[in-house]
Amino acid sequence: MSSTVEVADRMTVRGIELEVARHGTGQPVLLLHGMQTFDPRARFFQLLAAQAEVIAPSHPGFGGSPRPDGFETIYDLTRLYLDVLEALPHDRALPHDKVTLIGCSFGGWLAAEIAATCCHRINRLVLVDPFGIKLGDRETADILDVFNTAPDEVQRRSWHDPARWSPDYDAMTDVELTVRARNWDALSLYGWHPYMYNPRLSYWLRRIDVPTLVLWGASDGIVTPTYGRAFAGMIPGARFASIEQAGHHPELEQPEAFASHVLDFLNA
Amino acid sequence: MDAWWQCEVPYPFVPQQVLDAANSVRGSLPNRWCDPRIAADLFEEVIDEFLLCDDMGLNVIAIEHHAGINSLLSANPLLLGILARQTRKVRILSLGTLVSLRQEPVRIAEEYATADVISRGRLEIGFVKSGGSEMASANANPVNNVERYWEAIDLIRKALTHQDGPFSWQGKHFTHRHVNIWPRPWQQPHPRLWAATGDPQTAAEVGRRGMVQVLVLRGPEGTKRAYQAHRQARVAAGLPKVTTDNFAYAALVYVGDTDEEGISIGSKLLWFLNTSLRSAPQYSRFLPGTAPPHIAAQVYRSRPKTDVAAGLANAEKGVTPANQNAAKLMAITPEQAMAQGILFAGNPDSVYRQIMEFYDKVGGFGHLAMIGRSGFMTHAESEKGIRLFAKEVLPRLREIGPIPAE
Repeated sequence: MSSTVEVADRMTVRGIELEVARHGTGQPVLLLHGMQTFDPRARFFQLLAAQAEVIAPSHPGFGGSPRPDGFETIYDLTRLYLDVLEALPHDRALPHDKVTLIGCSFGGWLAAEIAATCCHRINRLVLVDPFGIKLGDRETADILDVFNTAPDEVQRRSWHDPARWSPDYDAMTDVELTVRARNWDALSLYGWHPYMYNPRLSYWLRRIDVPTLVLWGASDGIVTPTYGRAFAGMIPGARFASIEQAGHHPELEQPEAFASHVLDFLNA
Repeated sequence: MDAWWQCEVPYPFVPQQVLDAANSVRGSLPNRWCDPRIAADLFEEVIDEFLLCDDMGLNVIAIEHHAGINSLLSANPLLLGILARQTRKVRILSLGTLVSLRQEPVRIAEEYATADVISRGRLEIGFVKSGGSEMASANANPVNNVERYWEAIDLIRKALTHQDGPFSWQGKHFTHRHVNIWPRPWQQPHPRLWAATGDPQTAAEVGRRGMVQVLVLRGPEGTKRAYQAHRQARVAAGLPKVTTDNFAYAALVYVGDTDEEGISIGSKLLWFLNTSLRSAPQYSRFLPGTAPPHIAAQVYRSRPKTDVAAGLANAEKGVTPANQNAAKLMAITPEQAMAQGILFAGNPDSVYRQIMEFYDKVGGFGHLAMIGRSGFMTHAESEKGIRLFAKEVLPRLREIGPIPAE
């Protein structure tokens, strides 16, 4: 194992540099963000960090993480995070050799890919409104095309309360907007085609052999709770739970309910 | 100087209230608003106009756009095939089949070689980068569009020139293990290559490759900068200097008997800008990959700091991003369009003078690409403009030979 991990806001794994937010102590939780990177000041982040060590990298190309040349597929991301999982337990001689893996939205797709590949460093898996599989017939898209849909409509379908949660670009700093533009480009690169799913993943979800919780915002209009229940049904023993008054980002819209679901699952 | 005529075959007959209610007239407007009988009439008229160009010795251009009122030419090779057979004299520029949207560059090479042979060597091949709603229409990832563009061009060029049996291509975006096209092109080693582009990075690559560079409606400053980038890249690479024959400019052009007629009918061409450019935000300012993130971020704002954005864009790319250029063009008036070298219109003397003023401002160019019919311009008006241009303006332009581009 030639990889190393630095305890800082950067982490380098097998030559790939990641920006990473780390908060809290205790059971390590690897948190994979979705279409946008997480702000560690977010309420849900702090609630988790009160009882666990939350390790939240920005995927290459997102946030402040560089993207190596040619690194542009889900295949690359899956192998990168398998390496991260190998490296984390050696970091600071943590007493834990396993990590709880949480993935939201696009990051939920990654988490499912990682767990379907290899679970031996994972003790629990939490998928939050994940993308990643194809369920509907060939003329029914499961996942709203966020690139080819009017931005207002994307926001309307993203949130239970769009008036409160839709981003206000006019109020953002240049740096925040630049991060959003980086995130958008990276998301398009990884997820454009086939749009936000791997045609073979649903077949292999049966390989996931750790306790799994699938959480879903009841008002998610990007990808529906019906899809979520079917997704959970493909993972052996997975439990599905819905979070009321939340859309595609229940961790942001209902941080208390979200954290309570996750922490109960972690401590069970 | 050579001149080339084109018509995008726009479809302006959608009721205005439908257009006003749509957030985009490209990409997403339902095609029930396109009456195929009207479309057939338009194609018939425009193909007749291309044939008139052939009679008058004016070269022709076949373009391609997808899924919008701006153009019904979604299948460039079909028009190319018609022009290759039906015209007899003039040169034909495909500008072009949209290469980065298509999965099979080898098939494109077959189409081009076939058109070159049918026309007995009158084909010129142009490549357009595409953007905006074309990405949605073609399922094409906008983020690595430029990479696909160059790789497709490389593969097409090799397919056109390789004469020794099957070769293999295993590139980043395209793999094709057994390439061996029949027929091979008429022109050897291959038809002349063109590229339509505005940004200096691409312009530099176009320059290094010795392709003809077309600037479309960019005005004098953007055009001059792009030509300069082309020339400077050649110097930096130690390549021989090119002449003005490597440079082309595309503008709206209409010639009438009088200035009044030329400007009044020529102003109808502005429909192309005022009406047919309107594109939803997901196809324009929020399209991934169209500008570096620190520039793209500026246009996220509902009240963009335009000066800042333009300044950054100028520093980074040498020109404003295409979507900002489009925003400026949509609001343009005939007077502004004429002042900025977007529209050349008037009587033959005036149009010649306007072209030459622009020529002097940008350091010269060897090809004028005329957007010659758009919007509600009638077939009769279009044919009159073609005749007047070809008789009264073209002979004067022909006297301007290529000069070394300094």
